[in-house]
Amino acid sequence: MRRLLRAADVGQVLLKGGPARLPDDVVPRFKPGDRVVARNINSTGHTRLPRYARGKRGVVDRDYGVFVFADASAMGRGKQPQHLYSVRFAARELWGPEASARDVVFIDLWDDHLDPA
Amino acid sequence: MNGIHDMGGMHGLGPIDREENEPVFHHAWERRAFALNMAAGFLGEWNIDMSRYAREQMPPAEYLATSYYEHWLWGLERLLVEKGLLTRAEIEARVAELRRLAPR
Repeated sequence: MRRLLRAADVGQVLLKGGPARLPDDVVPRFKPGDRVVARNINSTGHTRLPRYARGKRGVVDRDYGVFVFADASAMGRGKQPQHLYSVRFAARELWGPEASARDVVFIDLWDDHLDPA
Repeated sequence: MNGIHDMGGMHGLGPIDREENEPVFHHAWERRAFALNMAAGFLGEWNIDMSRYAREQMPPAEYLATSYYEHWLWGLERLLVEKGLLTRAEIEARVAELRRLAPR
């Protein structure tokens, strides 16, 4: 069933947005402080796991809750509700010993992007 | 996909150009391209992740030579054709018509 966006409704629709947070009760695979390694995936589909982080070790900084898994949703494979985390990677882990010892990168990653390290 | 959009860590692209008081749109057509994306997205034929994936399909050389909202327009055209809402021929016919009407 196709919906129609009428000019008069645009403001309300944009204000409401399209939240990707889901009410599903899903058990998280990780908790803040857990050491993780990003999977070395090379999918030809959509992924929110950047190349430079694949195979790299990080630490779960926070658990945002349950969200639509963008990698699946982009390919028409449903919402696959799962936990989304902010994962902290040291600059030296990502870019080598010449990178700053203080810098870190936070990447928003889903359960299916991560393994325990 | 290991596409050109995934640029984190790439060298040689120059500094990020920060603009004082940057406007939301730099040209009127960008406003229209964005609105078309919102309105067409509301049809419910695709979701926001599919529209991101559509933009990632742009050929790498073209992607680097075009602007942000050109990516949005390219992705939208791809989805409209993919979902059967428009044909490539219809889009091209309209572009040809607009070219004819455009002041020289």
